Amino acid sequence: MQTYDYAIVGNSAAAINACDAIRGLDREGSLAVFAEEKRRCYSRPLISYLVMGDIGEKGMYYRPSGYYRRWGIDFYPGTAVRKVDAERRLLETSKGERFKWRKLLLATGFRPFTPPVEGLEEARYLTFVSWDDARAMIRLTSRPLRALVMGAGLIGMKAAEALHSRGCRVAVVEKMDRVLPLALDETASEMVAARCREAGMEILTGKSVSRVTAGGGYKGRAVLDDGAEVDFDLLVVAVGVRPRTELAEEAGLECRGGIVVDEHQRTSRPGVFAAGDAALAFDLVRGEAAVNALWPVAALQGKYAGLNMAGREVPYPGGNSMNAVEFFGLPVLSAGIVNPPDDSYEVIVRRGENGDYRKAVVRGDLLVGMLVAGKIERAGILTSLIQERANVRRIKNFLLEEGFGHIHFPRSLREERIVEAVAGLTRADRERGRG
Amino acid sequence: MKRRLGLEAEKGGWELKRIIPREEYCIGCRLCEIHCIVQHSKSRDIIKAFKRERRPLKRVEVEERGHVSFALQCRHCDEAPCITACLSGAMHRDAMSGAVVHDPERCVGCWTCVLVCPYGAVRPDGAEKKVVGKCDLCPDLEVPACVANCPNEALVLVEE
Ligand SMILES: Cc1cc2nc3c(=O)[nH]c(=O)nc-3n(C[C@H](O)[C@H](O)[C@H](O)COP(=O)(O)OP(=O)(O)OC[C@H]3O[C@@H](n4cnc5c(N)ncnc54)[C@H](O)[C@@H]3O)c2cc1C
Ligand code: SF4
Ligand code: SF4
Repeated sequence: MQTYDYAIVGNSAAAINACDAIRGLDREGSLAVFAEEKRRCYSRPLISYLVMGDIGEKGMYYRPSGYYRRWGIDFYPGTAVRKVDAERRLLETSKGERFKWRKLLLATGFRPFTPPVEGLEEARYLTFVSWDDARAMIRLTSRPLRALVMGAGLIGMKAAEALHSRGCRVAVVEKMDRVLPLALDETASEMVAARCREAGMEILTGKSVSRVTAGGGYKGRAVLDDGAEVDFDLLVVAVGVRPRTELAEEAGLECRGGIVVDEHQRTSRPGVFAAGDAALAFDLVRGEAAVNALWPVAALQGKYAGLNMAGREVPYPGGNSMNAVEFFGLPVLSAGIVNPPDDSYEVIVRRGENGDYRKAVVRGDLLVGMLVAGKIERAGILTSLIQERANVRRIKNFLLEEGFGHIHFPRSLREERIVEAVAGLTRADRERGRG
Repeated sequence: MKRRLGLEAEKGGWELKRIIPREEYCIGCRLCEIHCIVQHSKSRDIIKAFKRERRPLKRVEVEERGHVSFALQCRHCDEAPCITACLSGAMHRDAMSGAVVHDPERCVGCWTCVLVCPYGAVRPDGAEKKVVGKCDLCPDLEVPACVANCPNEALVLVEE
């Protein structure tokens, strides 16, 4: 039986960034990637761009062709891992092959959640989470039709936008009282919803689908909780995602709505790591473990899992919720806490002349959240202040100002960030006389 | 001693040029911005770049407040958050130079890098196709245009 030094289950953001990190430290160790999907790694968030024709199929790939060969990775496409034995360090694939491993990474991602709606099981509908889903959507919308999207989260809104670009008449039903309720605050939600309505979409918030009646093919009718009926030719269900933990659970790893990991992305079993949407890792804004089902967070966790697997013990710095969206020409970026749960948070808001909207959420001396809509330039400075848990007491009043930047920082902090970080010298190095 | 965690697999033995601003010498004249624009224009001619062609994005920005000013461009971070965050793989480290570079062909203009860059150094390009732009260290020049054209040596180049 073949033994891999590193075996990775999954082939997306977390998995590939783990491969990069491992190969940065260890070019010799044997490395295998097991992928349930048949394709080499593609960027999942780009499926809406594919449907909209913004990119072609070639634009979907996250890494150049030849990536696996170049970095000496045994790639097993179309091969799901069915079973993991964490005790004897074995795994078994859907093709019946068995492998030994020394270090294992579970980067199994998420799966779409199916809501318990009457009649849904009998109906045909689409999800919108994979390249295959995108292809199906393109095929089914070769002629414009009436589409109903359940859920106005990121995936639902991306699906709605894609359907709209295909000429469909789109209605979106959302149980919460606004679109993108997690990523945005009320004002920004309203701004996005207004753009969508202007473009001709129907946005039905504060309503849920209570029953679906199949009507042949993908056609059907949805009955909403207020009694309204919506006929559709195509239904897309996007009411949320759940970490895929079944493999981990069967292997006896601790899971709590996500695979539990420590600060080195290690699970409860020796030699087994987890990263990405499947993992419950540290959120540095909330100060506790949380699932942030986001590409950059999955990538960062993958990177740190890879480093630790290859023997460099570095703690994961923590992730945070962050979103970059643009609907119908309105870009919105947000990070951290944008909907403060109580009044221990201070909220600063600024509106520009051309409808721009900016918001900062401060708690004590820390910036814990930000949102910018319209003008998004340089918002990353705010994100970094959130992530670095920097003391913003002295610059609080400038955060949302036009032209906010390092110029507002105390000089020592500015130099630390701009000069020292680049020259690779920390203040401590300087004091030790290395500068 | 350089502090570097060799993280991305591509990292090799390159000599990366870095641009350091010196605020004591910057007078806020913004010549760096102008020459950056010219260098990234189609014709690389100052009149054409500003008057006839689509004016390219400036990849260096002078921050100014009172008497203090300095020019800031991409730091080509050792641990580049933009690379890790990029949805498409467009943002990557150039294996030859070690610079953090951006492939406009692969970029989809999702703005995730704008959201994570701690320096505000990557920004939407006003181009027709939604893409971002950032400092590329002027690969065709021995010394980047902003550094070469600063009258006060308020931008200096250090090579690791
Ligand atoms: C339409 C859409 C738009 C999105 N837009 C954004 C966005 O704009 N910004 C953002 O930050 N995030 C976005 N996301 C979320 C982002 O795609 C995810 O956070 C990211 O893909 C998570 O990466 P991951 O590596 O954890 O796992 P996933 O991408 O979920 O991949 C896991 C992979 O593992 C495979 N797998 C699972 N179990 C097994 C097994 N037993 N054996 C073998 N293989 C297995 C799966 O088939 C899958 O390919 C979007 C998602 C969707 C669907
Ligand atoms: S664009 Fe920003 S994050 Fe990326 S390398 Fe440059 S300074 Fe660092
Ligand atoms: S805007 Fe382009 S470079 Fe930036 S994260 Fe998105 S795809 Fe990558």
